[in-house]
Amino acid sequence: MSAPGGPGGSRVGIVVVSHSRALAEAAVGLAAEMLSGQAVRIAVAAGLDETTFGTDAVRIAAAVEEVDDGDGVVVLMDLGSALLSAEMALEMLADDVRERVVLSPAPLVEGLLVASVVAAGGADRAEVAAEARAALLAKDTHLDEAPVPEPGPAAGGHLTGTFVVANRHGLHARPAARLVGEVRRLDADVTVRNLTTGAGPVPAGSLSRVATLGALHGHEVEVAAVGREAREAVDRVLALAARSFDEAPDPAEEPAGTAPSAGPVAASPGIAIGPAAHLRAASVPVDERPAGPPEQEQRRLADALAAVRQDVARARDRTGPAQAGVFEAHLLLLDDDELTGAARAGIDAGTSAPGAWARAVAALESQWAALPDPYLRARAADVRAVGDQVLRALAGEAPDRGVDVDGVLVADDLTPVRAGALDPRRVLGVALAGGSPTSHAAILVRSLGIPAVVAAGSGLLDVPDGTPLVVDGTAGRLLVDPPAAVVEEYQARRRELAGEHARDAAEAPRDAVTRDGRRVEVGANVGSVADARAAAAAGADGVGLLRTEVLFLDRDRPPTAEEQEQEYRAVLDALAGRPVTIRTLDVGGDKPLRYWPQAAEANPFLGVRGVRLSLTRPDLLATQLAAVCRAARHGPVRLMFPMVTVVEEVLAVRRLLAEAAAPGPVPDGLRVGVMVEVPAVALNVEAFLPHVDFLSIGTNDLTQYTLAAERGHPALAALADPLDPAVLRLVAETASRAAGRASVSVCGEVAADPAALPVLVGLGVRELSVAPSAVAGVKAAVRRLDSGACAGLARRCLAAAGAAEVRALVRTASPDGP
Amino acid sequence: MGQVSTDDLLAWVRAFARLVAEHRDALTELDAAIGDADHGANMHRGTTAALAAVDGAVPASPGALAKKVGTTLVSTVGGASGPLYGTFFLRLGTALGDAATAAPADVAAALRAGVEGVVTRGRAEAGDKTMVDALAPAVAACEEALAAGRTWEEALAAAADAAAAGRDATTPLVARKGRASYLGERSAGHQDPGATSAALLLAAAAETLGGRGAGAPDSR
Repeated sequence: MSAPGGPGGSRVGIVVVSHSRALAEAAVGLAAEMLSGQAVRIAVAAGLDETTFGTDAVRIAAAVEEVDDGDGVVVLMDLGSALLSAEMALEMLADDVRERVVLSPAPLVEGLLVASVVAAGGADRAEVAAEARAALLAKDTHLDEAPVPEPGPAAGGHLTGTFVVANRHGLHARPAARLVGEVRRLDADVTVRNLTTGAGPVPAGSLSRVATLGALHGHEVEVAAVGREAREAVDRVLALAARSFDEAPDPAEEPAGTAPSAGPVAASPGIAIGPAAHLRAASVPVDERPAGPPEQEQRRLADALAAVRQDVARARDRTGPAQAGVFEAHLLLLDDDELTGAARAGIDAGTSAPGAWARAVAALESQWAALPDPYLRARAADVRAVGDQVLRALAGEAPDRGVDVDGVLVADDLTPVRAGALDPRRVLGVALAGGSPTSHAAILVRSLGIPAVVAAGSGLLDVPDGTPLVVDGTAGRLLVDPPAAVVEEYQARRRELAGEHARDAAEAPRDAVTRDGRRVEVGANVGSVADARAAAAAGADGVGLLRTEVLFLDRDRPPTAEEQEQEYRAVLDALAGRPVTIRTLDVGGDKPLRYWPQAAEANPFLGVRGVRLSLTRPDLLATQLAAVCRAARHGPVRLMFPMVTVVEEVLAVRRLLAEAAAPGPVPDGLRVGVMVEVPAVALNVEAFLPHVDFLSIGTNDLTQYTLAAERGHPALAALADPLDPAVLRLVAETASRAAGRASVSVCGEVAADPAALPVLVGLGVRELSVAPSAVAGVKAAVRRLDSGACAGLARRCLAAAGAAEVRALVRTASPDGP
Repeated sequence: MGQVSTDDLLAWVRAFARLVAEHRDALTELDAAIGDADHGANMHRGTTAALAAVDGAVPASPGALAKKVGTTLVSTVGGASGPLYGTFFLRLGTALGDAATAAPADVAAALRAGVEGVVTRGRAEAGDKTMVDALAPAVAACEEALAAGRTWEEALAAAADAAAAGRDATTPLVARKGRASYLGERSAGHQDPGATSAALLLAAAAETLGGRGAGAPDSR
């Protein structure tokens, strides 16, 4: 025998800890069958006696001492007190013995079998423990579950390797067919998984399944193999990947390669199948006419500015108040003295209106683009967009709707104007190389009901016009030129979805109750009386968020209390007795008001906004609070304050509310709450609970502030995922601390995300507020849930390493998932 | 303010065992709602065995008695309460040392050590709906009372009252540790069985270590 602890010569003992002696002994019996006579020292510490369930630290310590031969002991446990007792047993052991004991988190039966076999082979205790821990992999693979997150590369005879897809168009049909052909010839079970998107694992021997990975250029893919030729399988796949799956190199391929994309990311649910249709930026007309007299050119410019102003205002009205801010910014540019003044000066100096305007725009654009602050730098795009619109108007062209395509729209990104102008009858789906699911463009596309994926990577832009595309905006997949069988699958799925939509809409007015009888209130986010009527018609249980900004924007003086009261009462009337949550004015440096000039801020999202801004003008807030109090005498109103950070703010607005209600008291039925958007509120929620009736989690901002990732930033779409465990923990903290003391709702975009719903319900959220168009679908999804199963899922999600793992857990858990 | 003797500790264990026996079914009912319905039976078995272990041959010191109670609970309770209450008494015993009697301040410090042991063992925090929710405020109340110059009897009574209040406050909480945490939100609305038995432990302490007299506070 080689020296103790030496390679291949260890004698590691095993202790089985269980509540049940019968269970432990049967597990040992199973393991013995695998050993065919080889000796392994195994001791059982299970049950208080033959029949009484329980664990005993003293017995566990004795069992360890019994099987320890100097090379250490691996302890396998069932659950609950088994862990506590085993930990306690460690403390009872002598120091030198304790140091060589490993408590294994492996599943008891699988772990014991593997550990016994490996220990019999003379492995040391670290190897035995690692093998035991990976014991679930075989089962996972067999059942096609996501693998355990931390299998070592050498774990359990399960070999893995990773490669980055170098093919310009991703793992499309041809390279996928090469992959399938290669692994089918080998005696090994091989699976592949898209590490970038979390899709899979799927069997590498199935062409249609490999296609569902959506592995695009730059995505990282993991190949895992078990079986006799596992090593060879992994090696061959990696070699094949290194040869770009034997695809002829594209002569146009950029030498340096493009940055790997983090997508595609689901942006608007549904399935679209159709030919790729590129959105080409309409070229700006060159006006060759010589300059007329300056007064004539000035008039041309003024007319063009007026026309574009009207056009932008129309776009704003069409898309609703939630996105009004973007258009407001464009309107402000059209009135910007620096820009228009420079253009007018140019005209006076003899330049034509288009020439002077183009020069003024270019100058301002380059100023913005040169700023060190990336947020402000990005605003240069706004300047260019507005500038081009005016140039088109000067040339007498129809204003750029920009979108004249049929099929699946392919573009780098969309401006809000273009997104809002999409025609769902012609644009079947949207696939963006950049963008983010929380960008204004994505929100607009979602409100139009067009399936979309974003952040698909710049490789997408090279897909030729007319190439068949499948956009799965629910799962976040983009298939380029998939095999006919896959297209048929998606067509069938799309037909199913259409039928589901019709059924969901018919059911929408009923309460949404989970299968185990938990009601989940599904309200709507609205910004106007028209929205409110749409919400009521869509079956919303109330208004979870009434945005009041539309009353305040684009006017010369603030609305009076009477005007506001009228608006709030009209919304109450539309909802016919269902509750309405009114959010006080939520603006900041990015949405300035004409009658309330604010200093420009380098980073408006971390600046004076929401309640912070309101508290600088208590008179304006008092007017709004007075209007809310009056409206509250006519129906169930909840009053909500945005961007709250500290308790003092709540106390201050509470004082203002009491004053605003005068001469009467604050109306009885008026419930007061705050939005949980700043992580500090979620972390310190105990301090807020005595002062609020409810908490409304605004996941858009909570995500942006927790992950320090600007929403809408194209490079951060995958980072700014509201299903990141860090965000979920804040939701969990808020919901659990508030349970029984204040109601908790979620009113961000995530509330309508099918992947998020079971997690939110599992975390204890019982009120959601979504876009009116999403109400029916969310209610239907609630009816398919079991709150207990959701709680289990949510707990696993809280322990996940990242958003991709959370999404994989949800996919695995949901019976009707993609 | 008198010293706490080995006999006082024996009386404590005896009173605890009696209260657990009286509340055995209530503890099991509470555990049936959110756990595996064995807390009453487990604690009854454990405290009966612990009392038997120290009643026949009384150990030489309060510390030795507490340690004996701890090791007996570890081996006889069966569920998670075994290592948790076992740890409590073992740490208590270690903190009391070998002295023949202990001053009230030393007993308070030993209680603190015991509770810290429970927190470390179970990795539970206040608000997780566990026995810590009764034990932690009890120890704090005891220390505060002594620091405020109140009598040992008053300090123990404050501890028992704080434990009972902590126990009651577990009802709306969502369990985050132990078997009840598997239920998630459904655990809200039920009083925690571990906090309930912990309140009995403190009631027994007030009854015996400080001479408060008979009777335990209502356990509902």
